[in-house]
Amino acid sequence: MSTLKEILTRRPVAATIRLTVPAGGARPAPPVGPALGQYRLNLMAFCKDFNARTQKYKPDTPMSVTITAFKDNTFEFTVKSPSVTWYLKKAAGIESGSSRPGHLVATTLSVRHIYEIAKIKQSDPYCQYMSLESICKSIIGTASTMGIKVVKDLD
Amino acid sequence: MALRHFFKHLTILTSSYGFCTLSSRFIHPSLTTLFNNINPKTQPLIPAKFSLPLSHCYTSLSHPSTSTLLSPYLSVRIRCPKDIADVFSEALMCFGASSTTVDEDDNCDTSNEICIESIFPESEDVDVCISLAADSVGLKMIPSYEVKTGEHYDWIKKTQESFDPVEVTEGLWIVPVWKTPPDVKATNIILNPGLAFGTGEHPTTRLCLLLLQRLIIGGERFLDYGTGSGILAIAALKFGASFSVGIDIDPLAITSARHNAALNDIGPENFQLRLVSSNTSSPSADEHKDIQEQTSFEAVAESEHETYDVIVANILLNPLLELADDIVSHARPGAAIGLSGILSEQVPCIIDRYSPLLDNISVSEIDDWACLSGTKKLSGN
Repeated sequence: MSTLKEILTRRPVAATIRLTVPAGGARPAPPVGPALGQYRLNLMAFCKDFNARTQKYKPDTPMSVTITAFKDNTFEFTVKSPSVTWYLKKAAGIESGSSRPGHLVATTLSVRHIYEIAKIKQSDPYCQYMSLESICKSIIGTASTMGIKVVKDLD
Repeated sequence: MALRHFFKHLTILTSSYGFCTLSSRFIHPSLTTLFNNINPKTQPLIPAKFSLPLSHCYTSLSHPSTSTLLSPYLSVRIRCPKDIADVFSEALMCFGASSTTVDEDDNCDTSNEICIESIFPESEDVDVCISLAADSVGLKMIPSYEVKTGEHYDWIKKTQESFDPVEVTEGLWIVPVWKTPPDVKATNIILNPGLAFGTGEHPTTRLCLLLLQRLIIGGERFLDYGTGSGILAIAALKFGASFSVGIDIDPLAITSARHNAALNDIGPENFQLRLVSSNTSSPSADEHKDIQEQTSFEAVAESEHETYDVIVANILLNPLLELADDIVSHARPGAAIGLSGILSEQVPCIIDRYSPLLDNISVSEIDDWACLSGTKKLSGN
């Protein structure tokens, strides 16, 4: 909950910008350039900051960033890890999910894969309060909407 | 073969922007026009397009970023009900948008509608994407939208306008070229940052400049590893170094640095720049032949190893870890080495990697950023 002091000093928000940027690959080019340049945000500072914070991810994983631009040309941003669907596709080695999820199974993954993905997702700001088990359950749910079957062990 | 492709691209550009004078300028594109024309005071002539052919020369030795930097993009303005704006923008991102912006200032409508500005790569099918996104969110009808082709010079200009003179420390100012220095007697570094990193505002640049002020006493040979706009190399010369070399893997950075050196009246006798390929660390002289601006900056002998007294590398964690041996190999034993571009939490990792190579490691921090400095070990490598 925000304190009274925070509310009083809250800066007026000019815009909320969502971007998908490859980890470690932010450059002042589209899409970063036009989206941030419009609000006169310091492109280079964002690129450097973003690249430094995403060093621990494999280069070129698409990270989703949400930037809050304030009216005084400053900004704050949060970086989220790539979407679960992206991780699942990568783990299974497929380009896109099944065309008829529920009826057609695209591929199978083992519980180990789900566990690894859940561990990465746990560091996301949204999932920190969830237990690993519940994160796994939601990942399995996403997998089934993509037509990916989860088995205990892969032969 | 390649040239025909350029002309084809050019006719598309001329038809969409209605410029007829482009053809005569195209014959002799010069990289410096990119930076000269970006100055907001002069007439903007869409300079980004002139350097398109040149960017193709670089694709062999740099990242693909130089060609994507100037590639066109689609800017779409969508109107949708306010309450689902957030969810809708997330959906757009899933279906192919590169970015979505929700403006908090509702100046499009006083009713419950809000505008979302979205950017798509040129190859995306905007109609399909928007209809899929609207479908997934539960909108019954597709929201109204308009598509425009993005003009790339606009945002380059806009970000440059936001630069003000910065006082890094007492007596040291970084001044953009279109502003006058507030204190004429102080050490002023004039910059035109362009698209390279290093304007003096970032904490890491500040940390490095403060470090340089301490390390440079006079007459040293300095290497700026990952020079960006050349700010550290120029600052070293202003503090009294005898010779500065800046290297970078990004050709835009090299051009920017060269331009900034000229702005500060620094000539090739004590300032040199080298473009290195990102795979190896040694400069590749034959690839430079494609570049029009072949000045004496590039004519450097290879036997430069182990001759620098001060080295500063302000890059990122992973390159610093990978290139540790190379960075240190350029220094003479006992030379001072500074490393930055790292977050405070990444410092232990860097210390681990560099402790076999450096003595007297000390860390300074501003905000979340840290700068490590040490001296090269006297014995061994």
